[in-house]
Amino acid sequence: MSALALAWAFLRHRPIEALVTLCLAALAVGTMVVLLLLDAELKGRLTRDLKGIDLVVGAKGSPLQLILSAVFHLDVPTGNIDRAQAEAVANHRLVARAVPLALGDSLAGFRIVGTTADYVALQGGRLAAGRLWQDELQAVLGASVARRLGLGLGDRFVGSHGLGAGGGHGHDEHPFEVVGVLAATGGSLDRVILTAVESVWRVHERKPGPARTGIGGIQPAEARDELTALLVVYRSPMAAAVLPRWINSETSMQAASPATEAARLFALVGFALDAFRGFAYLLFTTSALGLFAALYGALRQRQYDLAIMRAVGASRWRLFGQLLLEGGLIGLAGAGLGLLVGHLAAWGLATWLAASQQVPLSGLGWQWQELLPAGGAMLLAVLAALPAAWRAYRLDVAAVLART
Amino acid sequence: MLEITTLTHAYAGRTVLALDAWQVAAGEHWLLLGPSGSGKSTLLHIVAGLLRPSGGSVRLAGTDLYALPAGERDRRRGRSVGIVFQRLHLLEALSVLQNLALAQSLAGQPVDRRHLADLLSRLGLSERAAAKPAALSRGEAQRVALARALVNRPQLLLADEPTSSLDDDNADRALDLLTGEAKAVGAALIVATHDARAAARFVRHLTLPKAT
Repeated sequence: MSALALAWAFLRHRPIEALVTLCLAALAVGTMVVLLLLDAELKGRLTRDLKGIDLVVGAKGSPLQLILSAVFHLDVPTGNIDRAQAEAVANHRLVARAVPLALGDSLAGFRIVGTTADYVALQGGRLAAGRLWQDELQAVLGASVARRLGLGLGDRFVGSHGLGAGGGHGHDEHPFEVVGVLAATGGSLDRVILTAVESVWRVHERKPGPARTGIGGIQPAEARDELTALLVVYRSPMAAAVLPRWINSETSMQAASPATEAARLFALVGFALDAFRGFAYLLFTTSALGLFAALYGALRQRQYDLAIMRAVGASRWRLFGQLLLEGGLIGLAGAGLGLLVGHLAAWGLATWLAASQQVPLSGLGWQWQELLPAGGAMLLAVLAALPAAWRAYRLDVAAVLART
Repeated sequence: MLEITTLTHAYAGRTVLALDAWQVAAGEHWLLLGPSGSGKSTLLHIVAGLLRPSGGSVRLAGTDLYALPAGERDRRRGRSVGIVFQRLHLLEALSVLQNLALAQSLAGQPVDRRHLADLLSRLGLSERAAAKPAALSRGEAQRVALARALVNRPQLLLADEPTSSLDDDNADRALDLLTGEAKAVGAALIVATHDARAAARFVRHLTLPKAT
């Protein structure tokens, strides 16, 4: 009969204590896993969306709000910017590329983004079917949009005014036609409907002009024409020192650095994550104490069992190891269950968040860092078993057996 | 087989056992008599290698038991000494069969299922192999405890008060079983008791005086 089978038999003989400590350990590990997954996935997604964008130019207001609305399509925009001023930025000698964004409408909560083909390239998008828009009122769907709304090539839809789900009046007189569907990128590109900037203007009854010059192929229009934001790629690192300052002081627009704002966002999110992490540490401590109490407290009842084991040939070390093994088994089971629970919880959370279309997470990823709480739980379990194991090692067999 | 010389044991400054010389040859059956408190259990524990005596030596099969490293002494006990305790001390978490298998594996032997099955059937316990000790009758539990002591075919079988709390019939049966099984495996047998009923069945007696 192996040490493992024996440990299993002992644990099964006192299932309540074992189960309670097991559940506590699983909760602790699970909480840590959820945190790790959310943290890693959130950072991964944000970083992917921000890649390649050096500066975001938009209406004055909160820079974080500007980044959130223009890059992640999460918050509402800070306002509109003047097209002529935007063009001046786009034509600046330090700017390599400027991608315009015109927001305003949505379809079932997914934003309709007026932009240029550069936007797709900037966000690393790739067509899964069809082609990019060539004319007004042609739309290309992000992967999630197409899947969730069940739209495909040739389908028609009308956007509604405003960015919220179901909000605003419909633009029935200007139906869009789906001409392309993008492959999934895992970024915010999956959640938007892309079209030409002109389409957005057209829907809002602005009149496009005839000539084709200006930023990113946008048709020049009347001076009152507006954009929502401009994503800027620098031509040289020097631009970082010059452009933001120039925009913020010489124009009525603001320039926000995605890197700075993302760092701020991470700090905000990080604070919440730290609070949860503290909670997880508390759970770890509780489960370790619980395991200690369960093993140590049971020693009195088990002293005869342990003495008999010695009497039939077990050494002191065998008893010591046996108790450590029991602790380790609970730790191992807790770690395994915790990983499972953590992934299930992350998946559930992701599904829930995806339903609200705010922060799309999958929860299915796997991070090597998960091994840390799992390994920590096992180590902690063995440590918690140490005092009991030591008492078992020191057991005065003859004295216990002489007791009647 | 067992050779004891100038053995003394003191507990908290008080001598509880003093035995000048005692020899037990292979296969001999001995009755260890004495009033309670005379050190019978202590002597059994010392002989089993469970309790280091204050003085003197215990040689088991030619080896000084307490000159061995602790781990080696544990191994030796597992392989060559079987003990039946007054309170049987079966492991409640394990089945009857597992109790026997544990004794075999803790002694460092591979678990021999056929041997265990034979042993159980010889003691009339085949039907109870899967039962937990809590479900056994007193007589069954005693036979399981005996089976556990016999599992490793010991050279020396020790029994501490095997007949206390038993009526005459059952005491007789318990002693029959002990002596019979000891004979069957060729083990020397030492039965410690204060029960006068056992005296007539044993030729060799060692009487410990009440400690002063």
